[in-house]
Amino acid sequence: MAVINFDAELKRAGADATHGWRRLTFLAQRYLLGTIGLVIMVLFVAMALSADLISRYDPLAVDSAHRLAAPDALHWFGTDSFGRDVWSRIIHGARISLAVGLGSTALGASIGVIVGLASGYLSGWVDLLFQRITDILQSLPLLVLALVMTAALGPSLPNVIIAIAIPLIPTVARVIRANTLALRELPFVEAAKSIGMSEMRIAFRHVLPNTLAPLIVLATAQLGSTILTEASLSFLGLGIPEPYPSWGRMLSESAAEYVRVAPWLVIFPGIAISLAVFGTNLFGDALRDILDPRQRG
Amino acid sequence: MLAYIVRRLFLMLVTLFGISVIIFVLLRVVPGNIVDILFDAAGYVDPADKANLEKELGLSDPIVVQYLKWIGGLLHGDLGYSYVSEKPALQEILPRIPITAKLAGLALLFSASIGIPLGVLSAVHQGTRLDYALRVVSLSGLSLPSFWLGLLILMASVSMLGWMPIYNPNPQTWAEAFAIYCIPAMAVGFRSAALTMRITRSSMLEILRQDFIRTARAKGASEASVNYHHALKNAVLPVITVIGIEAAFLIGGLIVTETVFNIPGIARFLVEALRWRDYPIVQNLVMFIAVVVVVVNFAVDMLYAAIDPRIRFGD
Amino acid sequence: MRSVRALAVAVLCWLSAYDVSLAEQPKSGGILKMYHRDSPGSASIHEGASYSFNVPFMPVFNNLVIFNQHVAQNSVDTIVPELAESWAWSDDKKKLTFKLRNDVKWHDGKPFTSADVKCTFDLLMGKSQQKFRQNPRKSWYDQVNDVTINGDYEASFNLKRPQPALLSLLASGYSPIYPCHVSPAEMRTKPVGTGPFKFVEFKANESIKLTKNPDYFRKGLPYLDGIEFTIVTNRSTAILGFVSGKFDMTFPTEVSIPLLKDVKSQAPNAVCVVEPSNVSTNIIINSSAPPFDNLDIRRALALAIDRKAFISILFEGQADIGGTMQPAPAGLWAMPKEILETIPGYGPDVNANREHARKLMQKAGYGPDKHLQIKVSTRNIPIYRDPAIILIDQLKTIYIDAELDVVDTAQWFPKVARKDYSLGLNLTGNAVDEPDQSFYENYSCDSERNYTNYCNREIEKLFDQQSAETDADKRKKLVWEIDKKLQEDVARPIILHSRTGTCWQPYVKNVTVMSNSSYNGYRYEDVWMDK
Repeated sequence: MAVINFDAELKRAGADATHGWRRLTFLAQRYLLGTIGLVIMVLFVAMALSADLISRYDPLAVDSAHRLAAPDALHWFGTDSFGRDVWSRIIHGARISLAVGLGSTALGASIGVIVGLASGYLSGWVDLLFQRITDILQSLPLLVLALVMTAALGPSLPNVIIAIAIPLIPTVARVIRANTLALRELPFVEAAKSIGMSEMRIAFRHVLPNTLAPLIVLATAQLGSTILTEASLSFLGLGIPEPYPSWGRMLSESAAEYVRVAPWLVIFPGIAISLAVFGTNLFGDALRDILDPRQRG
Repeated sequence: MLAYIVRRLFLMLVTLFGISVIIFVLLRVVPGNIVDILFDAAGYVDPADKANLEKELGLSDPIVVQYLKWIGGLLHGDLGYSYVSEKPALQEILPRIPITAKLAGLALLFSASIGIPLGVLSAVHQGTRLDYALRVVSLSGLSLPSFWLGLLILMASVSMLGWMPIYNPNPQTWAEAFAIYCIPAMAVGFRSAALTMRITRSSMLEILRQDFIRTARAKGASEASVNYHHALKNAVLPVITVIGIEAAFLIGGLIVTETVFNIPGIARFLVEALRWRDYPIVQNLVMFIAVVVVVVNFAVDMLYAAIDPRIRFGD
Repeated sequence: MRSVRALAVAVLCWLSAYDVSLAEQPKSGGILKMYHRDSPGSASIHEGASYSFNVPFMPVFNNLVIFNQHVAQNSVDTIVPELAESWAWSDDKKKLTFKLRNDVKWHDGKPFTSADVKCTFDLLMGKSQQKFRQNPRKSWYDQVNDVTINGDYEASFNLKRPQPALLSLLASGYSPIYPCHVSPAEMRTKPVGTGPFKFVEFKANESIKLTKNPDYFRKGLPYLDGIEFTIVTNRSTAILGFVSGKFDMTFPTEVSIPLLKDVKSQAPNAVCVVEPSNVSTNIIINSSAPPFDNLDIRRALALAIDRKAFISILFEGQADIGGTMQPAPAGLWAMPKEILETIPGYGPDVNANREHARKLMQKAGYGPDKHLQIKVSTRNIPIYRDPAIILIDQLKTIYIDAELDVVDTAQWFPKVARKDYSLGLNLTGNAVDEPDQSFYENYSCDSERNYTNYCNREIEKLFDQQSAETDADKRKKLVWEIDKKLQEDVARPIILHSRTGTCWQPYVKNVTVMSNSSYNGYRYEDVWMDK
């Protein structure tokens, strides 16, 4: 669907832009902010994948001789109170923050879509049941669920992902359901019904694509917010446990103690979080413009 | 419509029952209880003392008995006693509610009054520099960790003003009263405002592209009338959903913000009570929050019905 | 020459006298505002084991005797009467008799008598009908047979054997006298005392309020109208609050060395003192299971510790190295340096120590190609977690790959009690700089607070021997011997003894921070504010 959309755009823009490099540069210009977002995301993913190659020190190595060192040629982003290299920790932290962000968004959104679509389209007892479950989940504050769950399961990476994903489900499900409810009444669904398409087919061929726009807006907003949620959990001492260098933990209260003596401890992880979240948001926005099927008309 | 409302009210009860079971079971799955914590604080463990204390607090009863005792008490308005302070749970919870309610209300107000107008503005001027600027601003708003923002605000006000908006139950001046509520509310509402703006913009754009808007335009309705009368009215639907949902999410943001600004509201109290495994406080607080969220959602659905005539109820 | 010196001394004396006369008369009034680092579990000092209880509630009570509140170093020589007018040991040193004041009233108006003293210690010894929910310092009174009274104003402690340390234990902030007529349960929520301040309210996680006791038996005291504690758990917020003038004083001995720098730069007028807190950071070892059931590996561990690195990272150099007892000069019982440096791991050459440690590891079957995998368990609190991170890094040098295992507070004790750990990073606070307290509490075979269940009957005999020794010098030598043996046994390797800061605004007067305990200096009856 996206390809068709590109082609339509490209044809409108001029026939010579349909192939190869020109096509890419055209898209990049057309969606400048989105391209910037994509570049940021790719950089972070590349950083996470090649962390072992590009980090200059062991992110866990303690060095009492170089503690709280200001950024210089040896330590680009300075060192923390243990003398650990902040640059290396941020690079390794990208793995954790992106794993938490992508993992919990994907998990939460996919369950949320299924629940929301089923709930909105099928109605009846399925709707009733799913609505009760989402109601229950939604009435429990995110951090409370996350807190109780990490306490019950033990603070580990998969558990934090699950704990952050579960509260996403009702958010996604509700928006999808609301959209589905509205869409059900629209003429093109009625038409599909009248020519005898099966319910499942209508749900997945017509209703689902038309709920993608709000889903993407929401999912990308959530991708960023999951990274931020992990940071909040760490701030409260409940996120990914030491010694893993998650950005959230790097920003947590023990780092805040040194904020005046060593501001780089707070600045660089803060920038890393904000930039990563910013990138996903820019990209998500552009993606939304591209993927929205109603733009074709 | 009346039948629908009755049905919804019944479903609300079902939801609350589900929540009570889930939170009750979850709490007891978490390893360690108040007795462990008390002995941890006392720095020793004596199995006999421990067993006595567990018996005294009713923790050695079967879980079903414990649940029935709680719900039975709840129906009579008896919330039990806090394990830690040994005071009635109601007495611990009630005074903290208005503090958090004020914060949450202000944050929502801030979020809606900034987010909706900017979102509409951005959508109406789609593709212009103004739109780009607003989008970048809203995106950066979504990208800042809110506790970090709170800490930065605190540090900035100490170093620039020599003063900080940390909570004080008896504010001396009007300005202080304003600052101790509004600054934390802004710190927590900043992200919601950005989110509200994004949702407003995207749903506005969607509506502006729909047939009835084109029809209105074709009929010669003025640009302002199209934008603000026809489009905004329809675009508000998803925005309301999001604001409704944010009521629950705000509690999360408030936990962190109340910690940073040291505000003794229910959000921080909940975390502390969880840390202490103070079941009576946690259970009842969670139920209270759940009731609030359920009622807000109910109100949102009612608004749906009022605003969007396309939705039929009760079929 | 001599006359010059005499003159100098005279001038100095005159100057200091001048200082005293210049110092303004104490002013009455004002509410001292302080932040509290966390919410204590209750208001009952006897049921708590953290100075989070002592700081806010010591002002509510009195002891029989108390360490002089204005001498930083607590010792038996600085003990002064409080509810007791005087005390006397019997000739056989097995009976300690207190003559009590007859002009003291509880905050509810009832008179204080010897019956209250008996009630308090019967409760502590578990002899009364009513019980504490928790009684962490029961072992302090193991040598007390009973407490007897003679009339309303005399009480005696009858001992099983001489125990000179008893008086010091009674002088701790941990030993307030409770009233007979108030139940332990009420004392947890609404404590009634005889002290300079009355309890007003305690809102969990929010605040604790005390108000002046106008009927305090020391006329004219207290100077303050009240004390208010705001509970601020976030350290950065708390310090910002102090710096911005919201608080008159920080929570005592809670300002870490790095934060102290921040305070000094932000509030240059604030008065800050740094004192040892008599809290040791140590390693608890599960010696009942592999791999640390092997003494060679335990010794290797002791040799691998680079104490200076810990101190420079965690305290920017401001902490002390010692054995179980708090290091000199603030500590009274510390081993001299010559003895300390003979203990494995305390020698100055870290590399040589580690070389030796690696040999021991190789003897136990490990080496560069075969590392030992373990977990270091600790609580999920920075002051526990941070040293654990350093320990893990240092263990790498002796073929040990350790992983950090952070444990929720609620699960920490049960886990340790189950022996479900191999190494644990632990903090031990000592209320009184007194061997009876540290040795029995932490190393005695039957102690409830001996988490590791370390048990060495031979050393146990020495504990009793030093405890009953009435000759101070002989006792000190015995204490050194015991401390050295405990370290050589790798019972609970002591990494360091911490120092911490306390700050107050310049107008707060007459605060003294104790230098060998964080538990005893909070009566605050003669603290005042020049405002």
